This record gives sequence, C-alpha cells and structure tokens, in this order.
Amino acid sequence: MMGRRSKTALLLYMVFLMVLFLMCSTDLIIREPEKEVYQIAVIIEDIRDDNYGNFKKGMDQAAVELNADVRFITLYEKLDKDQQMELILREQQDGADALIVVPADEEMVVGAASERQVTVPLILLGTGLAGEGVTGTIVTDYKYMGEQAAEQILQRVSPAATVLMFSDPARQSFMSRLFLEGASAALEEGKVRCQTVARDGEQGFAKLVGVLENLPKGEMVILAESQEILTETAGILEDNPHLRDKISGLYGRGSSLSILNYLDREIIGGICIVDEYSVGYFSVLMAAQAFEGSGGQKTRTMDSYYIEKKDLREPAYEKMLYPIE
Amino acid sequence: MRGRKILLLCAVCMALSGCQGAQKEEEKTSIRIGISLYRGDDTFINNIRSVLEERAKEYERENGIKVTLDIQDAKGSQNTQNNQVERFISLGCDVLCVNLVDRMDASVIIDKAMTAGVPVVFFNRQPVEEDMNRWDQLYYIGVDAKETAVLQGQMVVDLYTDRPEAVDINGDGVVGYVLLEGESSHQDSLIRTEWSIQTLKDGGVPIEKITGGIANWERSQASALMEQWLAAYKNDIELVVSNNDDMALGAIDALERAGAVEVNVVGIDGTTPGLEALENGKMLGTVSANKEVYASAILELAASCAMGQKPPQEYPLTDGAYYWAPQEILVYEDIEENQ
Repeated sequence: MMGRRSKTALLLYMVFLMVLFLMCSTDLIIREPEKEVYQIAVIIEDIRDDNYGNFKKGMDQAAVELNADVRFITLYEKLDKDQQMELILREQQDGADALIVVPADEEMVVGAASERQVTVPLILLGTGLAGEGVTGTIVTDYKYMGEQAAEQILQRVSPAATVLMFSDPARQSFMSRLFLEGASAALEEGKVRCQTVARDGEQGFAKLVGVLENLPKGEMVILAESQEILTETAGILEDNPHLRDKISGLYGRGSSLSILNYLDREIIGGICIVDEYSVGYFSVLMAAQAFEGSGGQKTRTMDSYYIEKKDLREPAYEKMLYPIE
Repeated sequence: MRGRKILLLCAVCMALSGCQGAQKEEEKTSIRIGISLYRGDDTFINNIRSVLEERAKEYERENGIKVTLDIQDAKGSQNTQNNQVERFISLGCDVLCVNLVDRMDASVIIDKAMTAGVPVVFFNRQPVEEDMNRWDQLYYIGVDAKETAVLQGQMVVDLYTDRPEAVDINGDGVVGYVLLEGESSHQDSLIRTEWSIQTLKDGGVPIEKITGGIANWERSQASALMEQWLAAYKNDIELVVSNNDDMALGAIDALERAGAVEVNVVGIDGTTPGLEALENGKMLGTVSANKEVYASAILELAASCAMGQKPPQEYPLTDGAYYWAPQEILVYEDIEENQ
C-alpha cells in the first residue's frame, strides 16, 4: 500500500515531468525565435543554366547557410530584355525579398530601379553600371578579360597571324561585347590583324568547316566571344580533327564543365575565367544583407584569370573550377 | 425544431467553407515543382532535364500559371536525396519529381511526402511495387524495359537477316559478343540484358558470349572494361551489346584506340552524344525513348497533381500509376536517310 506522502511525491514528480515536457516540446513556455526565410529570385539573361553550374553551387551553399529560398529563373528567349523586366516585376509582386539579376539590357534594368519600379533590394551581376535603386553589384571587368586573352595570344603568335573573332552580333550580351572590345584593342596595339566571323543564324558556325578548309595559308587563331560559341567551336574542331591543323589555337572565356573538358583535351588552348562559385555565393549574401539592412559591401569586383591545361590541376584553380558542394 | 436549425447552420458553414476552398483553388496562379536527379552528370537524365525545363516554360506560357522548378542533383547519394526532398517540402513545393538513387529505398521519401500531403512523380528508376502501392498519389514514368531490350535485339536481327556478313565480321558462322551492363540494382539492367540476348537468339543470330561486365552506366568504366577485353579477345569480338548509350560510347572509345572500328556497337537511350555517334557511323544503332513525350508526361502529370486536377488524359496511366513512354529504333541508315 502506498502512503499519502508517497502519493503526493509521485504526483509532484509527475507534475514536474509534465512541466519539463511542456518546456521542451512546445513553445508555451520557451518560445523559439522564428527563423525568417528570405525569398530571393535570381533572373539570368539566358534561356538555360548551362553556363551557371558553379554559380549555382555557390548560390545553393549561401542559400542553405543563410536560410534563403532561392529561385533560379531563365528567360524564354536569350537576352529578351522586355521579358526580363516582366519577370523582375512578377517576382517582386510575388513576394521576393530581394532580386539578383544578370541584365539582358543593363541600362533598362538600372533605369527601372532608378524610377522606383523595383522596390526590393536589387543586386546586379557583371555590370559596372550603378543607379539609385541598385543595392549592390558584383562586377567582372570583361574588357580587361579580353585584354588578358589578347595578351596571351600575342605571346604565342607571330605578327603575321590573323585572329578570327567568333561572334554572334544578333544575340551578343554586354559581357561578350566588352570582352571583344578589350581583345581587339589589345590585338590592334600588338599589330595583329583581327577579323570578325559572325555566327550564321540557325547554321551556327557549322559553315566554319568550309571557311577553315578554304583558308589561305598562314597563322590563324580563333577567339570566341562567349561560352556557347567557345563550346560550339570546340565541338566542331573535335569532330573535324583535320581542321585543328589549320589553326594555331582556340581561345575564349568561361568555365563550364564541357569547356574544361575541351581544355583538358587541348582542343581549347586557353580560357579566361572568374570564380563563379564566389559570385553565386556573394550575390545571395549581398541580397540577404541588403534585405536585413545590415550593410555589407555595395560593390564587389571579381578578378579574372587566364588558364591553360597545365593550370587545371593547380590547387587554387582546381578549387575554383571544381568546387565541392 | 432547434436541432434542425443547428443542422442548417452547420450545412451553411460547411458550404461556406467549401466555397472558400474552391475560391482558394481557383486562385492558384503558380506551382512549384521539386525535382531531384539521381546524378546530374548522367547524359540521359540531363537530356530529360533540358526538355523538362523547356516544357515548364511552354506550360507557363500556355496556361498563364507560373512554374518554378527546383532542380537538385543527389550525386548518387540516397541520403542527400532524402534531405533534398525534405527541403523541397519545407519550401512549399506542390509536387515532387524524383529520379531515385536507390530504387529499393523509396520509403523515406514516400513517408515524408505522405505526411506533408505532397504527391510524388518518380521517373526513370522505378520504386518497388510495395512502395508504389502505399499511396494513391504516387506515380511512375519510365520506359518498358522489356520493349527496349527487344527493340535493341531486333535491330541486330534485322541487320543479320539483311547482311549476315555485316554482323558476322570474321565469317566463322558465329557472332561473338560482349555485354556491358548497367548498375546491378537498377530494374532495367537485368531486363535489358535478358531480353536483348533472348531476342537475338529468337531471331536466329548465332551468338556466342565472349565476356561481359557491369560498367554502372558510365562511359569511363565501359571504356576501361572494353580495353581489357580487347587485349584478351580482340579478334573474337564482333558485337558490343550495351545497356545504354554512355557505355556504348565508352566501348567505342576503346575500340577506336585499338583500331577495331569494324565492331558493331548497339546502345539504348538515344542521348545527344549517342545520336552524334550514330550520325558519324561509329554506332550501329540505339533505342530511343521519345524524350519530348517522356519529359512532357512528367511535367504534365506533376502540374496536374499540383493543381489538384485529374491526371492528363493524353498520358494514359497503367494501373492508375504508371506511364510508359514510347520508344523507337534508330540506326545509322535512318540518320543518313533523314539527312
């Protein structure tokens, strides 16, 4: 038989346990601070994310660390500035706390921000343009990148060589335009002849096969203005090994996995790169900081590097080009 | 009398709450789909992913409904995939599309999805039947592995019937073949192997297996295996039967290095690099799932689940849960004719 005192002790013990349970498992007594999830929309200028592999890895890492919900949005048509504006306004209306944009038309986006059409923090990537409504920018100096590529080419060719600049004037981004501007200026200074070869609509550079086959004898180098053109050209050279003997080298910019594979197989001679992973990471960080109003850097400038096959396994570049998630 | 009034009041309340629900459904102007891929570097899966993204944009334009795709790569880890699914659910995804890492281990994902009430469309890697039967909001989209294998075998049978010397290269009356198999845990590997060879036998091709091995769907592994086999049986190998295009391409890499380009290689999937090899005459043929239909079925089914609608009629479901995408044989001659 249990005595009265024992019963009271048992009751008190059970009440104590109950209180402990309430304290631990509910927020009746101890309220856990609510963790805010930042809604961030990333809107790029392209229709696919092929060239944003490492960028997305950095972006995802920052999203996990900062408790952000990041939506990565591509356009229906490449460089469709009107559609990009529509998407910016749509995402803002749908409750995005901050926007990260790779502008299809930098002036249009900066203009919209200045006119207060964009009322949430806006981070622009790749552009040096700043405006009143732009919260932050992550800048890559594409003109300097072009100069870097040109300098490397100049070191490898004779003054009699011709540099064929593969370009797509109909769908040229501001990044490609600046890259070519920088490269042509440096090549002209180096007294090397440049010739622009424009992409032919649907055919792409497929007609290149014929062009290269009929080239007059002489030293030829190809410089591709964008990642897509570099990948496409490398593919053509891989499928047509006889054409590779016609040119002294293929150069360009970008660090997608296929470009790195072509570089590794020496179909591409050299590339200019930026740390895309860090761009992705910092863009989300800047957006979150801007939303919190905690300040942080307004402009970040990313360095660009020229690399060749031998640099691929250098620890510093390896970390940058093949980031571990 | 009083009881009737209470009943009437309840009915009005229920009707009102029902209306509100309907209004909420009508207001749905965006859907969010969480997609987890078993491995982002698998060529076939990458092709499907590309078409999925295109279809999502088309759906958005056609229906005026914003579609957000959250695509994650599980990098071959079931644990990572489980975490991704958990994150998708916490981010409020309306539906999940899962390309399982381990088809025998779908239970964790199904548990999470059932608890959150989020439908799941599995694709390419089929969960076991017991798992699929656990809930009526689970679907699977893939290809009929037996059909794939029979088509693969048939293309060799057709060539042998037409031109036996093109298959029996050394003219000894026996076609020596090697077999490249996918993961042993994948449902399609075993079926593809069994029925492809069975079709060759049934079709009257006098085959003899030289050797075979598991290359886990990977080009590099297949290339390494093939290199070993060529070192041992170079003059006996006349045909390479591969469970997918990537491994077939690996075999071609090794064959080219060894200068044995006359060996016939057949694959499955119709991936972009596979079709390129076909165009260049490096591969005899492949069996291609119609990737447009395959990815459209995933997107449309997922969207209808997210919108709370019935599954789309243009993709009829077998047993209310399975959709089998159509397939076709593509051989070198077809590509030449099309061009």
